Amino acid sequence: MKTYHAKPGEVEREWLLVDANDMVLGRLASRVAQILKGKNKPQYTPHVDTGDFVVVINADKIRLTGNKMATKMAYRHSGYNGGLKETPISRMLERHPDRVITRAVKGMLPKNTLGRAMAKKLKVYAGPEHPHVAQGPRPIDLEDHVDG
Amino acid sequence: MPRIKRSVSARKKRRTVLEKAKGYYGAKSRSYRAAKEQVQHSLQYVYRDRRNKKREIRRLWIVRINAGARLSGLSYSQFMNGLKLAGVELDRKILSDMAINDPASFAKLVEISKGARAA
Repeated sequence: MKTYHAKPGEVEREWLLVDANDMVLGRLASRVAQILKGKNKPQYTPHVDTGDFVVVINADKIRLTGNKMATKMAYRHSGYNGGLKETPISRMLERHPDRVITRAVKGMLPKNTLGRAMAKKLKVYAGPEHPHVAQGPRPIDLEDHVDG
Repeated sequence: MPRIKRSVSARKKRRTVLEKAKGYYGAKSRSYRAAKEQVQHSLQYVYRDRRNKKREIRRLWIVRINAGARLSGLSYSQFMNGLKLAGVELDRKILSDMAINDPASFAKLVEISKGARAA
């Protein structure tokens, strides 16, 4: 018997809808990253993107624990000397709430071509509205998973 | 004693090495010196990885069984513990294949495992 390997063409991808309202950022991101990577499916194959699409709504209502709203920074580097830019996470949440979640999830995905392809299946929106109604995303509850 | 010239055997030796180095990057597929070193390493890697393959594939089975078991509400470790208690001796290869190709029976196995853990 040969171990099954998913082929890029025959992966069946579902659309899932996640409501970020009052969810903790990191907990939400780690579950979303798992789904994007496909590790929630028995068909998971490391060299193929087997993950589903994830639509996240209410990104502006995400929750941070502790003192992070005041102290957490988002860093990026321009590549030049002294080019380290920092943005307080509170300001990012105010101006581009979707970026906060995208950034957190991307950091949890592999840093390679496949990881970037997985990140493209993530769609984040600030409000309760999203333009993917045609795909009929199935609402899921991230709290509802097996611990341990 | 006859004089031995190296031409034929030397060419043959280099040809076999360069043929084994087909498809390698840059000089490693073209120059004999670079190719020789790479071929020696490559043969070591394939020897090592034929052994590592068995571990890697087992890790993949475990990831898949975990995903399948979680669909029915048990984690991998809980599921395997239950199977052991229930005396089910299916190995990880078969279990992962069932999770993909026969989800219904796999879900039954998860129930068996749950039952054994509850008892």
